[in-house]
Amino acid sequence: MPIFIFKRILSTIPVMAIVALFVFSLLYIAPGDPAAVIAGDQASPADVERIRQNLGLDRPFLIRFGEWVWQIVHGDLGISIFTSLPVRDLIAQRVEPTLSLMVVTLLFAISVAVPMGVIAAWKAGTWIDNSIMAFAVLGFSVPVFIVGYLLAYLFALQLDWLPVQGYTPFREGFWPWFENLILPAITLGFVYIALIARITRATMLDVLQQDYVRTARSKGVAQSSILFVHALKNAAIPIVTVIGIGLALLIGGAVVTESVFAIPGLGRLTVDAILRRDYPVIQGVVLLFSFVYVFVNLAIDLIYTLIDPRIRY
Amino acid sequence: MSDAAYRIEPMDAAASRSTPPTADFVAAPVMPDILPPAKIRRGVARFIYRYPNMAVGGALLFIMLCAAIFAPWLGTVDPTEIATSRRTRFPSATNWLGTDMLGRDIYSRVLYGARVSLIVGFSVAVLASIAGLTIGLVSGMVRRADGVIMRVMDGMMSIPPILLAIALMALTRGSVQNVVIAITIAEIPRVARLVRGVVLSLREQPYVDAAIASGTTTPMIILRHILPNTLAPMSVQATYICASAMIVEAILSFIGAGIPPITPSWGNIMAEGRSLWQVKIYIVLFPAAFLSVTVLAVNLLGDGLRDALDPRMAKRL
Repeated sequence: MPIFIFKRILSTIPVMAIVALFVFSLLYIAPGDPAAVIAGDQASPADVERIRQNLGLDRPFLIRFGEWVWQIVHGDLGISIFTSLPVRDLIAQRVEPTLSLMVVTLLFAISVAVPMGVIAAWKAGTWIDNSIMAFAVLGFSVPVFIVGYLLAYLFALQLDWLPVQGYTPFREGFWPWFENLILPAITLGFVYIALIARITRATMLDVLQQDYVRTARSKGVAQSSILFVHALKNAAIPIVTVIGIGLALLIGGAVVTESVFAIPGLGRLTVDAILRRDYPVIQGVVLLFSFVYVFVNLAIDLIYTLIDPRIRY
Repeated sequence: MSDAAYRIEPMDAAASRSTPPTADFVAAPVMPDILPPAKIRRGVARFIYRYPNMAVGGALLFIMLCAAIFAPWLGTVDPTEIATSRRTRFPSATNWLGTDMLGRDIYSRVLYGARVSLIVGFSVAVLASIAGLTIGLVSGMVRRADGVIMRVMDGMMSIPPILLAIALMALTRGSVQNVVIAITIAEIPRVARLVRGVVLSLREQPYVDAAIASGTTTPMIILRHILPNTLAPMSVQATYICASAMIVEAILSFIGAGIPPITPSWGNIMAEGRSLWQVKIYIVLFPAAFLSVTVLAVNLLGDGLRDALDPRMAKRL
């Protein structure tokens, strides 16, 4: 393995340590005493103290943090306060809907946004460009649940084309699964499309000014080939970067989209956990999403070296 | 460009004042050095023409601001007044935007809700800017602190902002103040990163070298040379933060982790309308429309500000 890949992978360790520390502090400073909760109403202060010692809650912050990290490394995310089930199992039950939603949204958004940005750059200054950019500004301004309710009202309630809410697992067939994800994916993809289309247009405008594009044009390469082969390839780096960074928007949006469309995913788990103050669950979900985010961006950085062999870390 | 460049007298006016041609001298036609633009615009018209985004955004935001401030005098009733006999009424002459499931007037709730959104948006923008500016300055100027600070910022940025705000809200009870703090913490790393980047590039500028060579103290360099130059990109960033803070506030309130229902906010009006959305979608739609328009206004203002402050970028993004 080349040394730069190794270095890049190493650089995620401090970032993840900070995330872990932050998430752990969350539980540490959370109101409520777990020992008192476990002991129940009848317990004497001495009982509570004994339970606290048994659980190791009286030990210093850093030691508890170290043990907690040790548990996490071994896949133990703690026990949910509300359901008394392991947080790992709760998350495992909810991963599929969220993952499905994100993958469908990602594919949909990229396949719509990139051509939009390319066309806007090609037709820069015309009404096509202006309307695509106006859409992009709108995409940033209309909150995700509003798009969700409007789409659901129009296509599900009024036109009755698609199911209103809910989720069907993938094993029950592709179409039932996909049908339920169309509206949520469009909803969630809205901001993401705006973001990607904007950056695609900006980078393409730059690339289309380059000499090799003029050369390609003068030797008679077809316009579509210039746009999508010559130019887009060279505009790929910023676009891929934004796709990675935008994942944070997607994760945040998923929490809301799942609430609107009653999808039993990780977002719903988070919302329910907040209403019940189930800190271990909140902790687990935040940790999971952050790690996914860090790893996707790590993967993207490594993909750069494939897209553009000139890049080295 | 200053106004003076366009102050060229109309051709006929100049011609009429020139001396009448004599036999041995024929006046050449008056040719201005610079051709005047098709139409000379001054004052407000000129501003709207040059910065349409900022003008539209500013106007919309101004209207929303007025609505929020003057809510009690704009035909509203007590937004928390419950009237069980008038539940979930469609929009009518008495309840312009209808009533919710507790019979409260949605028009009044939406107008009062504007206060929450605007307060949250502005406070977060200001607080996150101040904190981010401080952290960014320290990080950019103090080499030894840079590594540690930026790793911490990277770590915080790895937690999606909405989740971070949600996690922080889980620690406290819902109130406007806590929502502002939670969103501010989630937004600080972005400002800090931006400011640090600007500071690092400014440090290499010749005029900073010159200031160091002439013995200017470091605090003075920061105050005189670095700080003023960070303000332009930061103010643009601040508008985007304001817009995003309003959306995050609505999301937090919508999922029940934000402002408690006693204070009407666009997010919690929608949260309450949620159970009825299939039959009474207007309860969700009216606050949604207000929120979208306000966020759009702030975004337009930000785009306009960016174009005005950095004309090279104007036609690109």
